[in-house]
Amino acid sequence: MEFTQDYVQLAAFLGAAIAVSVSSIAAGIGEGYIAGEAVKSMTKQPESRDQVFRSMFIGQAVSETGGIFSLVIALLLMFGGFDVAAGGWQKAASLLAAGLAVGMGAVGPVFGAGYAGGQACKSIGRMPKHSNDILGNMLIGQALAQTSSIFALVVSLLLLYTVPNQPIDATVGDMILKSVAILGAGLSIGLGTLGPGTGIGTVAGRACDMMGKFPREKKEILRTMFLGAAVSESTAIYSLVVSFLLLFAF
Amino acid sequence: MKKGSLKRVFLIFFVIEIVLLIISGGLTKDLEIGFEKSKFVVRHVEKHGDLQEKITEEFQPDEYLLETGERGKIHGSERIYDFFAKVFGKAHAISAFMLLRMLLIVNFIIILIAVLTKKLLFDRPSKPQVLFEMMYSFFEEFVQDTLGKNFIHFTPYIFTIFLFIWVCNMIGLVPIPGFMEPTRNLNVPMGIGIICILVVHATSIKVKGIWGHFKNYLNPIENPLFLLDIVGEVSKVVSISFRLFGNVLGGAIIMLVVSSLVKFIMFPVGLNLFFGIFVGTIQAFVFTMLALTYIGVEIGE
Amino acid sequence: MAMAEAIARAAALLGAGICMGMGALGPGIGEGFVAGKACEGIARSPENASLITRTMLVGQAVSESTGIYSLVIALLLIFST
Repeated sequence: MEFTQDYVQLAAFLGAAIAVSVSSIAAGIGEGYIAGEAVKSMTKQPESRDQVFRSMFIGQAVSETGGIFSLVIALLLMFGGFDVAAGGWQKAASLLAAGLAVGMGAVGPVFGAGYAGGQACKSIGRMPKHSNDILGNMLIGQALAQTSSIFALVVSLLLLYTVPNQPIDATVGDMILKSVAILGAGLSIGLGTLGPGTGIGTVAGRACDMMGKFPREKKEILRTMFLGAAVSESTAIYSLVVSFLLLFAF
Repeated sequence: MKKGSLKRVFLIFFVIEIVLLIISGGLTKDLEIGFEKSKFVVRHVEKHGDLQEKITEEFQPDEYLLETGERGKIHGSERIYDFFAKVFGKAHAISAFMLLRMLLIVNFIIILIAVLTKKLLFDRPSKPQVLFEMMYSFFEEFVQDTLGKNFIHFTPYIFTIFLFIWVCNMIGLVPIPGFMEPTRNLNVPMGIGIICILVVHATSIKVKGIWGHFKNYLNPIENPLFLLDIVGEVSKVVSISFRLFGNVLGGAIIMLVVSSLVKFIMFPVGLNLFFGIFVGTIQAFVFTMLALTYIGVEIGE
Repeated sequence: MAMAEAIARAAALLGAGICMGMGALGPGIGEGFVAGKACEGIARSPENASLITRTMLVGQAVSESTGIYSLVIALLLIFST
């Protein structure tokens, strides 16, 4: 049916647009923060220019990860060759939810990673001697913050590839139930990574800042950062569990 | 390493394996994602016991297909498969079989490590001995910082958990078809998580006594939200195991999708470096630290 | 399945997703804030490290309780309708 084809394609394009646009807002703000802090600390301490520039570059590259995930999903949505003819409302909901999940799920982690990178640039400018320690700490913190965006990517890929086509003999009630459950799965992980991503970024940023001020306690700081970040992530994991349930229990 | 620790390490392994085997037959639903015969496979084992393949036609696997109840080709012994099919049902047989195979390989590697570091020399240590003594003393320091000097005997337990999860995460890097991380199967992290929480409670009972431990959970006057504490204990298992599972699964899916996008021409080295080595090590460490800190919070007064 | 029942169940499922998603927002940021402050405290006075770590974990457990409420509500919405 041509009408069916149209709305599945529409959902795919809409999902791609949401994914890229929402995540690029966050990526712009986060990376802009890193660049701003880097410029500030270069102005204050021009002699540590090289280290600050290097850490800015690396920090921005890692913060970009969430945006790249969204780009991959958007490309898959646009050129993935899904079965638009026989997909039905279920497929349309899953494609839209995939875009929503990865797009909104990238916002928090990218903000967080941006904050961590900015603080790292600030403290490297202050203490260029310890730039390697701070850089390593920043990388680990940003990777921890990005794990929640990896969760969003996982759910989004599962939405793309494991949701079957709508059965031909499905009633209207079944159709509504299944499509709405799929949308709920996408919304759950998409909104759920916002808080933990930002929170882990805060932890990593404070840790980088303190490592610049008290470089002797770097082991203790690293350990506390690990623990705090791991515990902050648990709500993102609850969201992952709920969206797995919504995906596979119905 | 102390003299008695090796025996203790083997004992802990034995317990972990038994719990894993029991659990892997017990969960009703499995989601398996693998890279078999250079094809991207997503298996979703349904409740009623049929193995269903739900994937776009490009990645259709031709083996291990159970649509008609017939079994496909399986490398290795068929008698073990039959045993699993009898015990767990046909749908679980393949996943349990592959999981067991991978766990045996992990076990073999760890026993190899134990054999390599068996001959302890004081004046002229071998290279593996230096490496693993460094790792051991690293963890001993953490245990001492968190639990105090009296609980230093927890180090073999903590180090075993780390080594097991770490080898499990690293084994996915080996480019042999059919090799997958056992931690990608939810049963494995769930089993280790259950063991960790049981150890926490057992230690707490040992330190505080039975009433001292259950006071928190069974006293509605002092603690009106005691039901939520029980939910919190269950959610500890969920969060500690799903964190590991989600990260490993995520890395695996991303690598598979990227390598399928480039048509398996180029092995994604950078992604393997990040998701395989970096994330695998960090998540193994986080799991271990959480298992340690839960004990520390429970007994620390 | 009757139409009205299907719509009610569908609304419950969507509600479960939004409940867990929104409910994870506050605890995530709050726990991150706690852990960040704990990092500062440990850097300033490393001799109190174990005390600070324990306080951090207890504080995070308390602030996570709202996240657990959301999880409970979401599970109720999924399984009881």
